[in-house]
Amino acid sequence: MINETIELKQGIKFHKIETNKFKTNLLAIFLNVPLTRQNVTKNALLAAILRRGTNNMPTQEIISKNLEEMYGAGFDCGIEKNGDNQTIKFYLESINDEFLPQKEELLKRSFDILFDIAFNPLVENGKFKEEYVKGEKENLKQIIEGKIDNKGAYAMERCIEEMYKNKAYGLYKYGYIEDLENITSEELYNYYKEVIKTCKIDIFVSGILPKDIEKTVKENENISKLQERKIKLNEEQKDINNEEKTVEESMDVTQGKLVLGLDVTSNMENLSYITMCYNTILGGGANSKMFQNVREKASLAYTVGSNYLKRKQNIIIRAGIEIQNYEKALEIIKKQLEDMKNGNFTEEDIQNAKNLIIATIENIPEEQDTEISYYFGQELAGTNISTKEYEEKIQSVTKDQIIEVAKSVKLNTVYFLRN
Amino acid sequence: MKLIESTRIKEKAYIEKLENGLTVIIIPKENTKKKYVIWGTHFGSIDNRFIMPKTNEEVFVPDGVAHFLEHKMFEQENGKNSLDVLMSLGVDANAYTTNNHTAYLFETTNNFYEALDELMDYVQHPYFTDENVEKEKGIIAQEIGMYDDDPGWQLYMNALDCMYKENAIKIDIAGTVESISKIDKDVLYKCYNTFYNPSNMALVVCGEFNPEEILQEIKNRIVEKENQAEIKRIYPESEKGINKKYKETKMQVSKPIFLIGFKDETLGKDKIKKHIAIEILMNMLVGKSSAFYKNMYDEGLLLAPLDMDYEYTDNYAHVMLTGQSKNPKKVQEELLKEMNNLKQNMDSQYFERIKKKVYGDYVVEYNSVADIARMFLSDYFKGVNSFDYIEQYNEVSIEYTKEILKEIFDEKNCIMSVVNIK
Repeated sequence: MINETIELKQGIKFHKIETNKFKTNLLAIFLNVPLTRQNVTKNALLAAILRRGTNNMPTQEIISKNLEEMYGAGFDCGIEKNGDNQTIKFYLESINDEFLPQKEELLKRSFDILFDIAFNPLVENGKFKEEYVKGEKENLKQIIEGKIDNKGAYAMERCIEEMYKNKAYGLYKYGYIEDLENITSEELYNYYKEVIKTCKIDIFVSGILPKDIEKTVKENENISKLQERKIKLNEEQKDINNEEKTVEESMDVTQGKLVLGLDVTSNMENLSYITMCYNTILGGGANSKMFQNVREKASLAYTVGSNYLKRKQNIIIRAGIEIQNYEKALEIIKKQLEDMKNGNFTEEDIQNAKNLIIATIENIPEEQDTEISYYFGQELAGTNISTKEYEEKIQSVTKDQIIEVAKSVKLNTVYFLRN
Repeated sequence: MKLIESTRIKEKAYIEKLENGLTVIIIPKENTKKKYVIWGTHFGSIDNRFIMPKTNEEVFVPDGVAHFLEHKMFEQENGKNSLDVLMSLGVDANAYTTNNHTAYLFETTNNFYEALDELMDYVQHPYFTDENVEKEKGIIAQEIGMYDDDPGWQLYMNALDCMYKENAIKIDIAGTVESISKIDKDVLYKCYNTFYNPSNMALVVCGEFNPEEILQEIKNRIVEKENQAEIKRIYPESEKGINKKYKETKMQVSKPIFLIGFKDETLGKDKIKKHIAIEILMNMLVGKSSAFYKNMYDEGLLLAPLDMDYEYTDNYAHVMLTGQSKNPKKVQEELLKEMNNLKQNMDSQYFERIKKKVYGDYVVEYNSVADIARMFLSDYFKGVNSFDYIEQYNEVSIEYTKEILKEIFDEKNCIMSVVNIK
């Protein structure tokens, strides 16, 4: 595997990952903007509008026809929170020419289409097409309202919202209905132009690549018209809440959803590697304390585990439990946190956790989107750590370091969704 | 070993039937570090009535027993749980139960043979006690509770109820809290001894392997068991026609979700070709570039294309189109209209374009060792060879597809299940 990054212009980078593991090529464009209440809804709406049509392919139907003609190339776009910033993402996956019934120039066509969608949207009378904006506002409204449909995800989202009240990271990535109503197509188009002029742009490609791929990208009409830019993104805000809070909410559920949001307050070196080990021992898999004690020993839950949000240094514990078991589950979970602080875990637990993390690291080059996400994460963090170095960092974590992290972990919010 | 091949996508597979009856399928995959093993038994939620080959005894088992057995297989006599052992090797291990099979699997980049030891050991050594069976009931009850809250699952179960009066597919995979309360260790052993015989199982490996070597490694880990006669499974007679046209339930969802189904009554008929034609038809009818989707999107009745699925075994087969809309009835009306239009006039360019798309969908499956191995296993239990989807692709003509359209997409076999806003 060869991985190379080329700066096309200041603020615009092209990353290529050469790999022969797949039948497909995967292309991605990431537009990175600061996460603010003012713009979060607009960003979500942009992702929706851009997929509707371009000046070359003015309707969704024409875009779909083109993709189908390319052996069902898969296109997707969406929005993601990256700490205190946001990324509008565009992906296109198409079959590599080697595996087609006949030769076609699918990779070049894939880039043409993807760039066209991101950088050449359909404009009528100096603004986005009214009809599209109207339709997408309605659709986005339904997506925002649909937040309640997946109860597990909803509970986690709500817990984070409570932990980051009135802060960037507490914003819902799809935005807010009350902000949505006032956005006009002119305003949205002006905002789009501003984004394209100033945002950090990363372009990725993974697959069996021809030698002149860089040239193909550079010479694309939509890329050559982009200007260089000075990047402005939010610095990560980190402040610790000292007050623990408990939030309960009622909905029509038979199973209660318990979510605990924790702050990792340590500033030690290599913190994220150590916390990864901590989190895996706590709630990372079938060997974890959560799984063993909440599910296996107490039979309290079917799903239980924890996630580590590296960018914000939070750990989120989640459990689906019977409503009357709330107190009992909470008590057992808190006991596990105490056990971690007191060093009640073995060298074997640590090695198991490391094995699990290393398996995840080794999996990175085995999936195209995972590999792109990994290098994009490195790009955002301004680091350049190979998967091999990453493994070494994990291997070098010690028990004392994990205890130190455990002692720095503070409960921030307990959220419970009940009936 | 028998070799099967797909030259178009440059993949091959080796198949061997061992003396004890176990089928082994090896799909060597170069350039990948990840290895995947899946061991399945042809035993799923629909198998609740059968005749044991050894004693000729007819047995009825409580609903949810295949799934319960899956949960209990990990428990070992030495007090260890095999899932924990595999996880501690850094191996991603899991198991699942479907309507017609149960599978145990792991994928890994390291410690492959240690993990294979563990997998093959626990699948061949059940350990059920009154105590460990009792304890599992609490965990499974929570899992059932999770499904009860899942609108998608309720939608699916109600759709089956519309299509079938009596069919084993209507049994909930996990059973009910009531049915699992009747499960004890004797029932589990009875099912284990019947269905976990090698002759009823298949093992699929995918990754960078030398076929001869990995086959030998598998043989070395086999516990000798007698190759038993075929298990007679008793299912309700498959009935003609549907049970009811429509079923609705209310749950807390932001917008109604719906499933439009077509019952396929041509069971067992050229499975692969028919399946490819149905994939093409579903895409032509409701896919992203269909007139139907454009209209529904413009009218604000659909936000995203419908999910399309065709499920089949020898006992049931149906098309399922799932989506979310504020007006499901209107969506169904429009779909039926579109279906009749397509019957009148199928544009050959449109057909060819969608056919290319479906080809791409099949090729993408070969990106991951996990997808490949799972596909080969589930296709094996359906009695088909996965490569045939690529190889028979060219044989699906527009004329054939039109025939399938008339046969399967028939208004009188169309049902709808809706989960409405509470």
